[in-house]
Amino acid sequence: MNLGVALDLARLDPGDASAVARLAEAGGLDLVAIAAAPGAQLDPWSAAVWVAGATTRVAVGVAQGEARPGSPADADVANPAVVAKARESLDALAPGRVLVGPDAWRTAPADATYEELEALAVDDRPVVVPVASVDDVRALVARVPARTPSRRSAAALARRVPGIAYDEVPASLVEHAIEPGDPGYRGVRSTYLRGGAPGLVLRPGTPDEVADALAFARRHRDVPLGIRSAGHGISGRSTNHGGIVIDLRRMNRIEVLDEERRLVRVGPGATWKQVANALDPYGWAIGSGDYGGVGVGGLATAGGIGLLSRNQGLTIDRVRAVELVLADGSQVRASAQENPELFWAVRGAGANFGVATAFELEAAPVGLVGWAQLAVVVPDLAQALVAYGRIAAEAPRDTTMFLMTGGARPGQAVLQLYGIVDDPDPDVVIERLTPFAEIGRLVQQRVVLTPYAGALASAADVGSDGHQGSGEPVSRSGLVDAVTPQLAADTARLLHSGEVYFFQLRHMGGAIRDVPADATAFAHRDALFSVAAMGSDDDALDAVWEPLRRHFDGLYLSFESSTDPRRLAEAFPEPTLARLRDLKRRYDPDGLLVDNFPLTLEEVSR
Amino acid sequence: MTDYGHNLLFGTFVTPSAQQAQQVVELAVTADRAGLDLVTFQDHPYQPSFLDTATLLAFAAARTQRVHVVPNVANLPLRPPAVLARAAASIDVLSGGRFELGLGAGAFWDGVAAMGGRRLTPGQAVDALREGIEIIRDVWDTDERGGVHRRGEYYTVDGARRGPRPAHDIGIWVGAYKPRMLGVVGALADGWLPSLGYLPRGIDSLPELNARIDDAAQAEGRDPRAVRRLLNVMPVDFGSSTRGLLQGPAKVWAEQIAQVALEHGITGWIVGGDDAAQAERFGQEVAPAARELVAAERARQA
Repeated sequence: MNLGVALDLARLDPGDASAVARLAEAGGLDLVAIAAAPGAQLDPWSAAVWVAGATTRVAVGVAQGEARPGSPADADVANPAVVAKARESLDALAPGRVLVGPDAWRTAPADATYEELEALAVDDRPVVVPVASVDDVRALVARVPARTPSRRSAAALARRVPGIAYDEVPASLVEHAIEPGDPGYRGVRSTYLRGGAPGLVLRPGTPDEVADALAFARRHRDVPLGIRSAGHGISGRSTNHGGIVIDLRRMNRIEVLDEERRLVRVGPGATWKQVANALDPYGWAIGSGDYGGVGVGGLATAGGIGLLSRNQGLTIDRVRAVELVLADGSQVRASAQENPELFWAVRGAGANFGVATAFELEAAPVGLVGWAQLAVVVPDLAQALVAYGRIAAEAPRDTTMFLMTGGARPGQAVLQLYGIVDDPDPDVVIERLTPFAEIGRLVQQRVVLTPYAGALASAADVGSDGHQGSGEPVSRSGLVDAVTPQLAADTARLLHSGEVYFFQLRHMGGAIRDVPADATAFAHRDALFSVAAMGSDDDALDAVWEPLRRHFDGLYLSFESSTDPRRLAEAFPEPTLARLRDLKRRYDPDGLLVDNFPLTLEEVSR
Repeated sequence: MTDYGHNLLFGTFVTPSAQQAQQVVELAVTADRAGLDLVTFQDHPYQPSFLDTATLLAFAAARTQRVHVVPNVANLPLRPPAVLARAAASIDVLSGGRFELGLGAGAFWDGVAAMGGRRLTPGQAVDALREGIEIIRDVWDTDERGGVHRRGEYYTVDGARRGPRPAHDIGIWVGAYKPRMLGVVGALADGWLPSLGYLPRGIDSLPELNARIDDAAQAEGRDPRAVRRLLNVMPVDFGSSTRGLLQGPAKVWAEQIAQVALEHGITGWIVGGDDAAQAERFGQEVAPAARELVAAERARQA
């Protein structure tokens, strides 16, 4: 039985509030609720927060504030948005200890005997006894058997979601699992760009534990399942509402396997910043994307268009072997020699085939590089885009420059150009950058010679506070082999629409093109630019994005948030798609892994 | 020379970061242990990365023993005055008289509007603040019988419940810079709580702004000494060389504080920085030294 007290604010001496709450906690009770009391002068919210501050473990019950509609002119009606924020804040201050009532508990008569209290405890809801003094609490504690508080408070248990068998979480995962009522929940619920409220976050630390997690997920096919490495995904739904997340951040080991061959073994939960830092002492690097906070698992199974790609190929092109747990729980290794078909598929469509538990990657020697961040103001956006496209197309492989902008005003746009010249000679760096800097009026420039790790260093280290994304990212992707005047004109219209707050052209080509289209599940080897735009509304973004589609030959799934099945054929053109579908039938016939560009098994008419 | 004769108060200005909620509370506990008088938090409800300041104040008060907790300053447009008054009085009662009410007329109207608040012009906001302060004092006044009734241009209360009665006279300290706001401070407030960075000429602005408050107080028949003068100062540091106000050795801090206290009547000193070590030195080295200097000078003049 969960047992607590309800503070009677009308009779309580406010000076005794701390003592009453602390005694309840020390007495092993589970909950101190603030009872609604019409005659009380004390503000119930302040009293509840006070009780939470005065104690450290016990759950605190707050009354569901009545949502009285009021105008800002009514001096006696709280602002509803501020009330909601107050509740979130108490959650942050007293994680997992807040229980919102009054239906969340049952109130017993003040003089109820232990037997009467037990009779009221017919479900999980705690039973509370009204108290107004230290003596009342003492009397209650004296008349019930000695109590040992349970690991999860009544408040924590009350936040469990339906449809998840919490009591059946495999023993290997119990210690690190996080539920909505747990203190660490805030740090694992959301991702970088997406707000979420999963019902259970499993955090395996070994392949066996990943298998246990997948077995648990197989018993919960009615709730969503997300697989998370570092939580930067746009297409990958690594959080959800009410479902299960398998969070791999604990599997973040980085070790050098073979110095001769520069072979490195990396866990899926490491970030690329960590990888870059670990390889830096060896004078090596593995090209990733353009942001150090991105996790290894998501990127190394999808593609990886980054600042070294034109010299090194995509990140998946550096993968020599992958170890993964398949949907059925079996653990396999895939490489050119072992399970070669699976190896082909996990490099580009990996999220469909298993949970990667380790990658073996071949690093390349990379010395000092020129890391450039330029900003130019351009009067004619379309013209500037064409110029960028031409200069980028003509650039040698050592030069990778991405273009980013956040929309445009009539007559003027600011373009951020950033990237790497993979050459330690400052004169070469300047020579390569000069044409880019001349695209417009240079208003900002920062160029440094740095190890590759320096270019990824700016990413914030995400600790136990996790990501705090909210809402849903809205993003579109396309691939092109040139920035034609028509594409530039359509892009300028897109950027003037006001619907796009982030737009990016990623410079591809070079070593990406050296790999045959059928060598991996990423088939778009001829693309020279990845085009991505982010907006805040799906329909509004589609409306302004549609005119660009005629220019595209495929898309890069990691920048596409749409779940429209028609996008599948753009991510995976035939014959890649047919081959992937065959493999999906073999490796995940029940469709357990569908959180990131799920391979539907049937053709969808376009 | 304007010394309004108040005792000196020392405090910190702690960023109410939601992501670092535990550290924020720890900084309040540090201020308490360091013997500081005040721990204060800014109040911008529309700032998603911040905690709700009213909630944080109650929580921090429960975790501390002696320090007074203060919103610096409460956002009146999003905290209707009767609601604010009741929360303030409740925390004061629960903490045994350790709440002071820093109060502002509001700014960042886009943020206010985004939270469903009302967009006012700066001029309207001053008038709303004046009405707000009156309602707050009415709610705290439990000697009067019946509910609070006021029909103002910006706020209406129709029979709002009075109380709780605060455990001590809660000071209403208003953040103000412009003439009309300074007029409200002089006429109605118990304190003036500006930030140094917003004073047009820094410390040199103090004589003019103090004089406006004094004039407004006298026009209402109040003694200018009824208005305590406080100041938020940031950034600050304990460097080895003196580079500005509260940027130098602890001894220099104490001398600067004593000088500004005696010349301009600033007797509340609140420093930002979210730095526990700094807060400890502020409470343990600077505060006693500054108090000693001010006491000595006041004794000499008496």
